[in-house]
Amino acid sequence: MIGIRRLRTRLTLWYVAPLAGVMGVYLAAVLLMLYWQMNRVLTHLAEEDLETVKGLLYFRPDGNMDLHLEYHHRTEWRQVQERLLEVLSPDGQILYRNERLGTRSIGGPPFPGEGERAYSERSARLSDGTAVVLVSGKYNLEGKRVLIRVAYSEDLIWGRLQETLVILLLALPFALSAIGLFGYKMAGRALDPIEKMARQARRINSENLDERLPVENPDDELGHLAAEFNATLARLGQSFEQLRRFTSDASHELRTPLAAIRSIGEVGLQQDAGADQYRDTIGSMLEEVNRLTGLVDNLLTLSRADAGHITLQASAFRLMPLLEEAASLLDVLIEDKTLRVNLVEEEPVSALADRSYIRQAVLNIFHNAVKFTSAGGAISARVYREASWAVLAITDTGPGIPAEHAGRVFERFYRVDEARSGEKAAGLGLSIAQWAVRANKGEIGLVSPPQGGCTFWIRLPAAPCEPAHRADGRHSRLTVS
Amino acid sequence: MRVLIVEDEDKMADALRHGLEADHYTVAVARSGEEGFYLISTQAFDLVVLDWLLPGRDGIEVLTQLRQRGVTVPVLLLTAKDATEDRVRGLDAGADDYLVKPFAFPELLARTRALLRRGAPETTNQLAVADLEMDVATHKVKRGGRELALTAREFDLLEYLLRQHGRVVSREMLARDVWKESVRYTPLDNLIDVHVARLRRKLDDPSERKLLRTVRGVGFILDEDSA
Repeated sequence: MIGIRRLRTRLTLWYVAPLAGVMGVYLAAVLLMLYWQMNRVLTHLAEEDLETVKGLLYFRPDGNMDLHLEYHHRTEWRQVQERLLEVLSPDGQILYRNERLGTRSIGGPPFPGEGERAYSERSARLSDGTAVVLVSGKYNLEGKRVLIRVAYSEDLIWGRLQETLVILLLALPFALSAIGLFGYKMAGRALDPIEKMARQARRINSENLDERLPVENPDDELGHLAAEFNATLARLGQSFEQLRRFTSDASHELRTPLAAIRSIGEVGLQQDAGADQYRDTIGSMLEEVNRLTGLVDNLLTLSRADAGHITLQASAFRLMPLLEEAASLLDVLIEDKTLRVNLVEEEPVSALADRSYIRQAVLNIFHNAVKFTSAGGAISARVYREASWAVLAITDTGPGIPAEHAGRVFERFYRVDEARSGEKAAGLGLSIAQWAVRANKGEIGLVSPPQGGCTFWIRLPAAPCEPAHRADGRHSRLTVS
Repeated sequence: MRVLIVEDEDKMADALRHGLEADHYTVAVARSGEEGFYLISTQAFDLVVLDWLLPGRDGIEVLTQLRQRGVTVPVLLLTAKDATEDRVRGLDAGADDYLVKPFAFPELLARTRALLRRGAPETTNQLAVADLEMDVATHKVKRGGRELALTAREFDLLEYLLRQHGRVVSREMLARDVWKESVRYTPLDNLIDVHVARLRRKLDDPSERKLLRTVRGVGFILDEDSA
């Protein structure tokens, strides 16, 4: 909440500050323009006045120069009042200075060519330092060459500039605070959805993961954020649901052997039996313990896999020796059921994967095929290449898997038909196989036509080139337990 | 042979003590890391069976300190932690072997024996129990003078049982030592049972005297006293 408040303040500051800067620059520009323009006006006035003065100057009989002030229509005009006037001879001798100028000099001695052809305009300083706008011109007056200088003090300009500046500076804080206030309100409105989202997010925990954040406007950035967050929540909810189901399935699976152990123990105690019978009872309990142990081992493997704690070591290996290895390991089971097994390598194919985990996956699938094929049946397995995949497919002649179950056989603890298989294995073998294949960037799936039989296939990234044939396929070890 | 068990859980400690005593070891039990450390520092033991998770000072701490002090007694570490990195940690701390709970008791006995005669592996090529003889070098097996035709796997299995004769061998031990599989997965128990059944058919069916026996819930035993 405080974070949002501060963000709101910061946002406001962020756009008030540059605005104040821009306004400062604008103010300076306005004042500069104003100065320049008034300077022009003053120069123009001086030029006009120069012409006027030229007509009014005359030499008195004593040889001194004077000005016919009485000729002015209106001597109260500022043009006349503020005028600073100096007349010089071409050699710099002072012929006349008006009263306002007094003893001060305008611009010092004449420079060469001053006012010769046109007006000379410049900024100058009086001898006492007053800044003036100066216009000078050379004329013939009663047969003599004279340089007439008319000047106006720049104080006239500075006064006006000061007034303008004061007015603008007084208005500026009002403008800025009005903008700031408006900005603050707008920022508040823009940030409001965040506040709402935060409030809602605080309420969401593992118990109500199905709740969602409010999406006010799906097209803006915050709406996008909320939508993304909601998608994350949905995924989380899904994982939680999966986890919950997994935990409940697992406890159910664990409960079965536990119940058996308990019953066997209790019944065994009730009877007054001989050592042999007790031995049998304990043995039976230990069998259930073994089941439990195996189950917990598998659960641990899966939970490590889920947590990504298993590191894979990929290498290139041929698929055919792996298949042969699985078949030879299972040979006694195959013989017992008098199954015919046919292994075909359509072309030498190598996969790039962690061999030990793929071996486990292939064994699980091969073992399933042996388990579900009835005595005297056949199992065929093929190894081939398909685009950039190395493919291994195992086909059994068992009863097949009904279409409605096909998508779910890889789920944990899922069983198509417990009664038919008669197996007591916790349904984790295919889950582990699926994990192993997917962790190696492969795919796993099954095809089961309605007339029976079932093909499980594993696709793995094919190794770019064929490695040397591995004579001993068994030297790869499972490294992680 | 004196064995010290450092284990805080009473049932587990008692079971280990009884089991080891039945195998003719002299057993002492410590119920905490401190007690264990004290006993090892003050008495001589041939082997320490050390639980990892102990109240107070845990097994790894005890082990590390012992090794720092130069105590070289063989240590078998027991733990429920079976991740590879835990294993490595345990062995790094100075454990000589590592057993994951829950384990089969015959497995513990086998490891114990292995640790106690470390450095002197059994190398004999002539194995015999009752009227069963095996020559490992020539791959020949005879029962009562009659040669048995065994597959390679059956031969390996019988060799292992012969070397462990008189002792129960669990399926985990067979999986690891005969099948060379370090991971237990579903098909293997099933496979082992079938192989043992076949071996028994060749070995015991023709003879009055049965040598290979199943100990229900535990494993198998090759023993001349078998009923």
